[in-house]
This record gives sequence, C-alpha cells and structure tokens, in this order.
Amino acid sequence: MTLFVQELVVGLATGAIYALIALGYTMVYGIIELINFAHGDIFMMGTLFCISIMNLMGVTTTSHPTGWALISIMLVSCLGGMLGCAILGVVIERIAYRPLRNAPRLAPLISAIGVSLVLENVGLLWKGINYVSFPQIFPQVYYYIGPISITSVNILVIVISLILMVALQWMVSSTRIGRAMRAVAQDREAAALMGVNVDRIIAITFFIGAALAGAAGFIYGLQYGSTIFYIGFQLGLIAFTAAVLGGIGNLVGAMLGGVLIGVISALASLIPDSNNGGFGLPHGGAAWTEAIIFAILILILVFRPSGLLGQQTPEKV
Amino acid sequence: MSMPVSAAALLPARQTRTLLIKWTVALLVPLIVFTFIWSGEAIVNTTLLGIISPASSNYDTPTLIQLSLFILLFYAAAIAFAAYLIAVDTGRRGMLEVWLDVLIFAVIPLFLVMTLGLIIGLALSALIWGIYFYVRNLVRKMAHITPPPPLQNLAVLNAEQRAALKRRAVEGGFWFATVFAVLWLVVDLIFFFSGTLPVILLIWVALRTILLPVAGYFLGRLSGTIALRRALPAKGGKSGENGADGSDSTISKRELEVLSTTRAREEAKDLVPNDLPLRSAGAQRFFMVLLVVFLLFYPVLDPILFGSGTNGRLAGYGDAGFYVILALGLNIVVGFAGLLDLGYVAFFAIGAYVWGMVGSTQLNYVFNIPFNATLMSWLFWPFLIVAALIAALWGVLLGAPTLRLRGDYLAIVTLGFGEIVPVVFLEMDKYTNGANGIVGVQSPSFPGVIWSLITPIPYYYLILVLIGLTILANIRLRDSRLGRAWIAIREDEIAAASSGVNLVRTKLFAFASGAFFSGIAGMYHAAKLGGVSPDNFSFGDSVIYLAMVVIGGIGNIPGVIVGALVVYSINEFILAQLDTLAADPTNFMHTVLVAITHVFPAFTFGNIRNLVFGIILIVIMIFRPEGLIPSARRRRELRHGNDEEVEVGSLDVPPGTPAFESEVHVE
Repeated sequence: MTLFVQELVVGLATGAIYALIALGYTMVYGIIELINFAHGDIFMMGTLFCISIMNLMGVTTTSHPTGWALISIMLVSCLGGMLGCAILGVVIERIAYRPLRNAPRLAPLISAIGVSLVLENVGLLWKGINYVSFPQIFPQVYYYIGPISITSVNILVIVISLILMVALQWMVSSTRIGRAMRAVAQDREAAALMGVNVDRIIAITFFIGAALAGAAGFIYGLQYGSTIFYIGFQLGLIAFTAAVLGGIGNLVGAMLGGVLIGVISALASLIPDSNNGGFGLPHGGAAWTEAIIFAILILILVFRPSGLLGQQTPEKV
Repeated sequence: MSMPVSAAALLPARQTRTLLIKWTVALLVPLIVFTFIWSGEAIVNTTLLGIISPASSNYDTPTLIQLSLFILLFYAAAIAFAAYLIAVDTGRRGMLEVWLDVLIFAVIPLFLVMTLGLIIGLALSALIWGIYFYVRNLVRKMAHITPPPPLQNLAVLNAEQRAALKRRAVEGGFWFATVFAVLWLVVDLIFFFSGTLPVILLIWVALRTILLPVAGYFLGRLSGTIALRRALPAKGGKSGENGADGSDSTISKRELEVLSTTRAREEAKDLVPNDLPLRSAGAQRFFMVLLVVFLLFYPVLDPILFGSGTNGRLAGYGDAGFYVILALGLNIVVGFAGLLDLGYVAFFAIGAYVWGMVGSTQLNYVFNIPFNATLMSWLFWPFLIVAALIAALWGVLLGAPTLRLRGDYLAIVTLGFGEIVPVVFLEMDKYTNGANGIVGVQSPSFPGVIWSLITPIPYYYLILVLIGLTILANIRLRDSRLGRAWIAIREDEIAAASSGVNLVRTKLFAFASGAFFSGIAGMYHAAKLGGVSPDNFSFGDSVIYLAMVVIGGIGNIPGVIVGALVVYSINEFILAQLDTLAADPTNFMHTVLVAITHVFPAFTFGNIRNLVFGIILIVIMIFRPEGLIPSARRRRELRHGNDEEVEVGSLDVPPGTPAFESEVHVE
C-alpha cells in the first residue's frame, strides 16, 4: 500500500512535467488544428538552453549555490530557458507552419515531422550524442509523511507547475489576449472579422506554449539530472497522450491528463515481472510503460475521442 | 531553328534530312560516349573474344550469353529509338534545343556515372537537372519564349501520310545505323592500326559494318509500325458529330480542342506526330526497354562498367530494393487512400519476424518443431505469401481502431502502434529472443543457384522480381474499383460515403494491402540480413519511409520509386561516402570536417542525417508538396490549377455556330 502511495507521489511530480508540455500541444491544436510534432523537441531544447545558461553563469554540476544566489540562478535560467524556447517556437511557426496554413492537412503535419527531425539533430550537434548532465542545484531534502518520502525537488516541480498553470488559466480567461486566443480557436475567420490580428495571436500562442515547454525543461532537468537529444520525442508523445486524454483543446483537460498519465506510468512500474512466474508482464511493468501509455491513447481515441473533458464535436460536411 | 512544318503535308527530302541530322547527332553522341569512352566497346569485344576462344576468356558461358543478349537488345533498341524519333518528330522544336537537352540529360550523366560511380553520379546529375530546369525557365521567361501549344500540330494522317511516316522511319533507322557502323569501323581501324585490336576481331568489324545498316532498315520498319499505332485515328477514334463537318480530321481535332489546355497537353503527349517526341509515351516505352535491359543484365555488366567491387554494390542495390517495396506499400496507404500512417515499420517488423521465427532455429524454441535448413529454404517461397498475409491481418487489426479518426489522430495512433510493436518484440523474448535478436535465418533456395548470405546476385534478381510484381500489383490496384474508392475517400470521406463507398471496408483494405507488401519486404530483409533484431525497427525508419513517399510524389508509382531510391541514397550512400571521404586526410572533405568540428564537436556526416531529411521535408512541403514526380491529379489539386491558362479563343465565338456548340461539351 505504501508502495502504491509512494508511486502516486512520484507520479504527481512526473505528471506535472507532462502537464506543462501537454498544455503546449493542446493550445496549438486548439488554435490551428495542428499536432505540433516538434513540441517535444522544443522541450528538449529547453533543457539544453537551461544548461547553457547555467554554464554561462558559471554553475556546473558540482557547484552548490545557496540563498539569494540560488534563487537568482534558478530564476534566470528558468526564465532564460522559457524565453529561448518561446522565441524558437515563434520562429518555427513562422518558417514551417505559416506558409502551410491553408494547405491540405497532410502538409503541415509532415512539415512538423521535419521540424522535429531538425531540432533533434540540432540538439545532437549542440551537446553531443551522450547524456548531458543538468546541474542539480536545488538542494535535495527528503521529507517524510509516515513511510512516504517526498523530495524537495518534487515539491518544487509541483509548485512551479501549479503557478504556471494558474497563470495560464488566468491569462486565457481574463485578459484581452486570452479572449482573442479563445476567439481564434473557436472560429478563425470570424475572429479576423472582429478585428483580431490572427497571425499575431497564433504567434503569441506558440510563444506561450513553447515557454511552458521551456519551463517543463527546467524542472525536468532539476528532477532527473540529465538530458539527451532524443528525450523530446519520447516525452512529446507521452505528453500528447495526456493532452488527448484530457480533451484536446481544453486547458484544464491537459493539466488533468498530464497528472493522470504521470500517475499511470508510475503505477505501471509496479506490475510484476512475469518472467519470475505468476501474473504480470515479461520484464515487469517498467519496460512496458510506453506500450501501456500508447495503449491508453488508442483506447481513448477509439472510445472517447473527445477526451475526458472535451466536447463531442460532430464532423461537419 | 523552327520550321513551319505541318505534319499533314508530305515532308520533302530536305526536311527529312534536317530531322535525320538532328536526331542522329542527338542519339549518336550518348551512344558513342557509352560505347567508346565508357565500356560499351569493351563489353562487345570481351563477349566476342569469349565466344571465339572460350579457353582464354575469364567469362563462363552463362555470362557470355547474357552479355551477348545485352548487346543485341541494347543496340537494337537504340537504333529503333532513333528511327522512332525521326519518324515522329514534326520538326517544330529546334535542333539546338534537342541537342542541349540530350547533352544535359544523357551525356553529362554518363560522364558523371562513369567517373563517380552510379549513385553519386546520378545524384549529381539530378542536381544538374534541377539547375538546368530552373535556368531554362528563367531564360524562357526573360526572352519571352513560349513553347507553341501542342494542339496546333495535331492532325489526322491519311494513308499517304502514314506511308510517308513509315518511310521516314525506315530511312531514319537505316541512315542512323549506317552512320554508326561507319563511325565504329573508323574507330576500330584506328585501334587496329595502333595495335590494340586483335586481328580476329577484324572479321567481326567487317561483318558488323554490313549488318548494322541492314538491321537499321528492319528496325526502322518496326519503329514505323510502333509510331503509327499512336497516330490520331482517321475515322471516329473518338466519336464525332455526324456530318457536322466534311473533313474527318477537324472533328477529332475539335474534340481535343474542347479539352482544357492541361488535359490536351497530357493527351497530346501520346499522339503522333509530336512536338516533343522525347517526352512522348512511345519514347517512354523505349526508355523502359533500355532500363529493363540494363537492370536485367546489370550483374554481368557491372565488372566491366565499374571495375571491382561488384559484390558490394549489388548487395547495396539489394538493400535499396526492399526500400522500394516498402515505399510502394506505404504509397497505397498514404498516397492512394490518404491515411497518414506513421507506424509502417510495425508491419515490416512483423514480416521480418515471421521469417525470423520460422526460418531459423527459433522454430525449435517456439513451436517445438525441429528445424531443417534445406527444407526451410524451399519453404521461403510459400512463406512469402504467408508472411504477407499475416502482416495484412495485422494491418487490419491495427487499422481497425483508427477507422473513425481524422488525419492527425490517425497519424498519432499509427505512430503509437509503430512504437508498441517493436517493444512487444523486444520484451517477449521467450519467443523472439528479445534484444539479442534472431540469428542464422535461412536464405531461400532455387534450383541450380547457390544462395547464401554472401552471394548478392540471387538476391538482386529476387528483389527485381519482387519489385516488378509489386509495381504490377500496385498499378492494377490503383486502376481498380478499390483504387478509385481509395482516391475517393482521400478526397472527401463524407462525399465518398454518400456515393456508396463502404468506408470501413475500403480503409481496412488499404491498411491490409499496404501491410501485405511490407510483409514481403520484411521477409526479404530477414533472409538477406540473416538475422532480425528489434533495433532495426524504430520510429526513425517510419519517418524515412514516409519521406520516401512524400519526396517522390504522393500517390504516384514511378514517383515513389524515385523517392525511395533518392532517400536510400542519401541515407546509406551519400552521407556514408562523405564520411569515408572526410576520414581520408588527403581529401578536401577532411579540412571541411575539421573546420566544422571546431564549432560542433559531435558533427559527422552520418549524424546529420535527420537534419538533412528534416530540412528536405520542410522545404518540399512548402515549395513542392506534390513531390518530385507528381501525379497529374495531385499537381492539379495542390496547385489549385493556377497553371491553367484561359482559353481566350473560345470566348468570342458567337452562339448558333457549330464551334459554339463544342463549348457546351463538358470534359
């Protein structure tokens, strides 16, 4: 039982990261109906940006800043990473997606795959083919609630995600830009008729989505301590599953989906190894996590394509 | 130099001569380059020496037979082609244009391939062609040269004109062969007097100088017949109005005039007489013949044409071959039916593992059936079908959940399957031997052929046969009711469903057919590699297959084949070759590599493969979404028909006249 709750806690932290990335997917899909394959790789670039910024500030894997230095370093690298990713997102939109806005659906999808490949390779060229270590500057303190342990990093991850999600939700629901975003997502032409600068709003959406991915990159680095050029693809797909699970186009759904997927993947590692006899999967649930998550994705898309919180929209002629 | 020649008139001798000169020079130059500068002469002479004195030759009888067949077919096709072109051309396009075209499209590639090898030579040639097209279009626009519309020159040929055409073909064949024979005689005499030609072959030289013109005469007659088959029929080939007009020729021509310009241009490509005979459908038949002849006899030609290293090259082409089959299979799903499948590698893996589990000792572990190597080799052939059917079955199973999904979701789900299947193969190691993979997979058997992992020639022929069958199957599928149903659901599902297309069945058939071919490719790959392992199958491969289809031309069979070869070359050859070149310190590429690695330490040419592909995909999607060789339909779709010109002439025809009525006919 304790193992269960422990995994739950771990899953929450992982899920928070997934939620942030999923938000980017769902925002872009809501506004231009494109699955941004490159979003996971923007997240990966975010981790690399943070590492570079920290290296620029003289922080390495062995340094342990404290107090104000720690806070300022974290702020600078987090915000720097977010800014870098945001700019990257806008540039990608401008180059690879905007010329294809009116093309048949296949074209921007393939273009997105192309961007994903390019970004992966850029990551490889930039930081090499091996794991790059992320400076673990946040002091790792274990807190115990009964037999369950939770680390300070986990708490930090959850806190940062919550702050960002709340900020995003506030922005979308209460500001002019948020209203414009909702309008463009609902009906692009009508929004244009109402005086919304559609191109700018789409660019802003990409900006925000990518910034969230950058933040996700920062907290991913803090939590796991290393990154490599191909994590973007893996995590991107999982985060997309989360977005779909929650209902694509729906922000709260993305957050919910992210947490759910995080919890499920953490619990999946509890499945015993059938090679040791008895019930379970060969090599244990941990090796099958990906497959399980994809299976979930397929099941959702077959039985409830609109996701948990989405609305069923009939396909119009 | 264009002449106002109407094909309806008999061509006087002067104009025939001009055509003769034009085409003889045009075709002789590449032929001479091939025969004398490259190794054509060497092929002929070695074959003859082998026939005359078999003891002293390095070649055994089957090789000699193949070489002789090649020589006969190749030169006969060349002469017949020349005769065809001379017969069919109307003479409206100038000599220099044609000569420039032949230079760029035939002579330069020959030189490049000769010096740099087949793949890199072809790649560079493609680059040069691209530049040439671009420059030519620029020049045309700047000088305001517009090619004349093809319709003006179409006319029906009456019997007299047909005879004239045939006579022209015969003359063309005869004179072309004669000029070629004389040239060859001269060259051989030079060789003889400089001592490099054995005396024995002098008899052959004399024989040849007499035989070639005779052959030219008969081949010219053959070409004449072929050309006439494509002429506009004299009476009612397309149904015309009764008695609306006296002359037959204007009726059929008017029918063609009713068609839109783009359609007319497409139709005019086939007809005789023709402005651009090199692009006509008849000429394409000749190109096909030449290509098939080269492909069939390539293993015996390779040592003479390219020197040592034949086995390695043939093995590489065998590998390229299954990429072609995969691209063709994916073309069915993505190109015909419009279902974006990002997990195609799953079916490939299934096909490979079927043979892996049956054709090796794994059979023992899994099914407890003792493994008999010779028996299993023979069972490869029926298992081709079995594996393909199993893959098709999985295609249906994996396609079933996706039936209601739209494009993007479909892509993600198929991607998910493409990820799950290799993971399953990896983890179920009781059956599949997990990460270690299965080794010792059997090669197939064929009577009289030694077949193993180190003999690439049988695999080469096997893949040629498989590719041929796949192309045939694809063409039949595309032109069937099912193929049209696929195109219908690709365009608009709801409209298709309202027209009676059973969406479920059609989509499942698309998945099944695509998976069928990848199953075949999987088996071939497993047999050729001699082993299967889960690392061979990843999402990156799925992207490469998709890139093949997209770059080549979605939905277009020759386009997809070209795309597969292009992507394969980039993937396996070009980047790897660049790496080997750069590793050599004496090479220029080395300095380039060193300079780049100062900035990017992780750079190797092999590493940037994804970068290259990604950029190519993005650029193609933005600038040429229909691919390198588009299907006509696709190009019309994706360009929104902005190539259509307005037919100004038809706007000012008053009602009540016969010509006005023709506008009412809808194409």
